[in-house]
Amino acid sequence: MTDRRSFLRGSSVLLGSAALGNVLAAFAASPRKATFFNAHEMSALRAVVDVILPATDSPAASAADTHHFIDLAIPACAKPAAQKTFREGLASMVASGFANQPAAKQVEWLKARAAADMPLAYDQSFFKMLKDYTLTGYFLSEVGATQALAYEKIPGGYWGDVPLVANQKAWAI
Amino acid sequence: MSARTYDAIVVGSGMSGGWAAKELCEKGLKTLVLERGRNIRHVTDYTTALKDPWQLPHNNRATNDDRKAQPVQSTLYLYDQSTKQHFVDDNQHPYVQEQPFNWFRGYQVGGRSLMWARHVFRYSDLDFEANQKEGVGIDWPIRYADIAPWYEHVEKFIGASGENSGLPQLPAQVLQPPFEMNALEKHIRKGMDAAFKGERKLICSATAVLSREHNGRGPCQGRNQCARGCPYSAYFSSNGVTLPAAAATGNLTLRPDSLVHSLIYDDAKKRVTGVRVIDAVTRQSTECFAKVVFLCASALNSTAILLNSKSSRFPNGLGNDSGELGHNLMDHHNGGGATASYSSLLDRYYRGRRSTSMYIPRFRNVGKREPKFARGYGYEVYTWRNSWTRGVGSADFGADFKNEITRPGEWGLFMEGYGETLPYHDNRMWLSNDVDPLGMPRIHVSMSYRDNERLMAQQMMDDAVEMMTAAKLENVKGFNNPVTPGSVIHEMGTARMGRDPKTSVLNSHNQVHAVPNVFVTDGSCMVSSPTQNPSLTYMALTARAVDHAVGQLKKGAI
Repeated sequence: MTDRRSFLRGSSVLLGSAALGNVLAAFAASPRKATFFNAHEMSALRAVVDVILPATDSPAASAADTHHFIDLAIPACAKPAAQKTFREGLASMVASGFANQPAAKQVEWLKARAAADMPLAYDQSFFKMLKDYTLTGYFLSEVGATQALAYEKIPGGYWGDVPLVANQKAWAI
Repeated sequence: MSARTYDAIVVGSGMSGGWAAKELCEKGLKTLVLERGRNIRHVTDYTTALKDPWQLPHNNRATNDDRKAQPVQSTLYLYDQSTKQHFVDDNQHPYVQEQPFNWFRGYQVGGRSLMWARHVFRYSDLDFEANQKEGVGIDWPIRYADIAPWYEHVEKFIGASGENSGLPQLPAQVLQPPFEMNALEKHIRKGMDAAFKGERKLICSATAVLSREHNGRGPCQGRNQCARGCPYSAYFSSNGVTLPAAAATGNLTLRPDSLVHSLIYDDAKKRVTGVRVIDAVTRQSTECFAKVVFLCASALNSTAILLNSKSSRFPNGLGNDSGELGHNLMDHHNGGGATASYSSLLDRYYRGRRSTSMYIPRFRNVGKREPKFARGYGYEVYTWRNSWTRGVGSADFGADFKNEITRPGEWGLFMEGYGETLPYHDNRMWLSNDVDPLGMPRIHVSMSYRDNERLMAQQMMDDAVEMMTAAKLENVKGFNNPVTPGSVIHEMGTARMGRDPKTSVLNSHNQVHAVPNVFVTDGSCMVSSPTQNPSLTYMALTARAVDHAVGQLKKGAI
């Protein structure tokens, strides 16, 4: 699945497909340039963070540039072995044509990956790393913290025991 | 080379040094404070204090480069992009771990008073008498009555909030009203009161965080970002409280980037006349002189300065006639505890981020003697409603998942015991001949926990499980994790006080037995390591020692 040959095969398929249009659209929508991952990988990342955290009553993960957070944070923060895990996992996603699959197929792919990864240690699990970086990237972004969650930069004090109001969001930090 | 003369020199500007500076300056002494690290001005230099998570690199996550530069410091729970500037570069300040030893350090004006955990408890005579009663180590040369007025003196000035337990092992303190308990904590308190009849109780920890305004400081704004430095001066630090008080007298000279290499001993006078200083930036040496010197550089560093001060009178380090200098190193141990959850009270929440914990005071070896181990432990208890982070480890994703984890989850609890460690002669530090980049001989540390600590840790876990089970929490799970010494950041005992110069380094006023114008008032003076967090005791002992020193100076005795 994740060997180099299948990676290359997947890439060549992608290059000749409508994926290129998708990649270009991604760049048009976001002025940010990737630093670590290539355009195909960014395209897959952008798609998968929105499968994990889609738009609900708050914006989707990509609207908070979560894929760009991951692009910066994986090379800076993940240990070398974990970086390798992540790169390989992402390559297999690209190879599967993830970015252009219909939503149901994307969910199916990610569910299968989750099931396969659950027994693995964090550093060996693409899915666990992906969840970690997606959630950290989104929920600690301005969009995630203030729209998906509740954020008070300076609460002004502490109230230990207050009623929870209907549909109240959790504190971001 | 410039020579400078003052009435007093204080080495270090942290918890103890700030207090020495304030008390000396307020008593009219021209005081030089030498701090090995850079200056950090109160508020102005708290560069990350008001940053949102998204304004910090990688949403506040540490990087591989951070871990490379600070391999020890970066393992601390407090370490992230918002606090890393308050911890040392381990590569610039190497030490040798003869056995694994985590040495968490802040070389800067304010020292670790910038990042401390802020719990402030008094010791009681249960603590001061224990060594003597059990024949462990040596006897403390003081009792509660000797230090009680100084506890009060310190508490009134620093400002602390919390609850007095009413238990004799945790003497009553001068405290502002506590921060409120949340719904789960109130539930646990009731459950424990019913099950243990007041012998074991949950209280709001006594913490040097202001719940009310105090001398123009605070109150706490509920940010719980203390270790970045507080723009509201709502927790106690040297930078925000003692050093400004010292400066206000006009008697303070603060010299950052000034590493003290050793003390200058005069054979004829039998006194220390000053200190040798290395400029941490230019690496030039200079000497500064004073009538009295206070060592407040933290236990291992004050001890290193003494060991490095060799003369014909003191070939093994200044004040080391007993041979105890560097020995009897202690830290607390916190490996035993429990986690739990609670799926009721889901209509209750909290607002703001409380920068303290709940506390369960010591109950072991208080009345009846435990057969398995000496001394005891208190617990810090943390509770919360689960946040988005509960989604990280799960296999779920998608819209329902997002909706679920953006709402407050069930209640969670984490509690860990803080146990007393006995003084062992062979738990120690010493200096080797190789020097660090600034020219200080390298510090070697060798410390391990023993049977008493191991047996205690087991009971710490079992008691935590018993108490949370009695409080009817769910999924109560005990843990008993191995602890690397140093990790609790209460290193102490390497220049202990005592009555007998043959077995101790300092007398009952923290005065070097054979060199009465040198005082050591940081953690190195400790004779035992009681259960309670030690900083309040360091501050009280410092103020008490200054009072004694100034009295002796006036009499011409030193």
